[in-house]
Amino acid sequence: MAVSAAFKADLLAAIPSLRAFGVSLSQNADKADDLVQETLVKAWDKHESFQPGTNLKAWLFTILRNEFYSQMRKRGREVQDSDGIMTARLAVHPSQHGQLDLKDFRAALEQLPEDQREAIILIGASGFSYEEAAEICDCAVGTIKSRVSRARTRLQDILQISGEAEFGPDAISSQVMGSSAA
Amino acid sequence: MARQDPPAAAPQKRGQADPLGTNSEIGRKLKQYYDDLVSDEVPDRFAALLSQLADAEPAKKKD
Repeated sequence: MAVSAAFKADLLAAIPSLRAFGVSLSQNADKADDLVQETLVKAWDKHESFQPGTNLKAWLFTILRNEFYSQMRKRGREVQDSDGIMTARLAVHPSQHGQLDLKDFRAALEQLPEDQREAIILIGASGFSYEEAAEICDCAVGTIKSRVSRARTRLQDILQISGEAEFGPDAISSQVMGSSAA
Repeated sequence: MARQDPPAAAPQKRGQADPLGTNSEIGRKLKQYYDDLVSDEVPDRFAALLSQLADAEPAKKKD
């Protein structure tokens, strides 16, 4: 039918983003593809609960995210703790010219707790608004904001990027206070 | 927490002191990291899966 053909096309178009989000969450390409597969099946089943005109991508990201956390619970793997114990140990040294490479960045991102990583990905990379990200993560907008900010500070610490100019005092104070912020 | 955002009046998208903007090293890397993932080639099995779902659909919604 026409409706399902259109829906199918929309889902197909969303796959690259879903996979990127899946990898960002799970830090594992195979797991990400399992998540995407589950997401597509669930989305298809719940087709009718999707309200046309609303953001399909956000709806799909929500399904994928729920799937990720429910799989994690099933596996009994506890969510990484939110404190910077690892971070302190594993500072990455930027390469000579101060340009950090993608590999370093990936390693740093991996050290973030899931909640911070998903927030900074949704806002900084997937192009969602804070409001959309809050819906996807089922939390308050303020929570997303603070997660993004903690994630950014954390990444700066790990990657040893000294305060970025545009932040001025904020960056300086976070340097001074170190991880006792957050 | 005492701070209130103005009620969505012309939402500034992520304007002004954009902490993850293009002037930020972290913002740039984040996008590079993600774009890299997005541009990864999608395995055929996903298209196959969707076709399968589409074919099976009529069976749904039956009491």
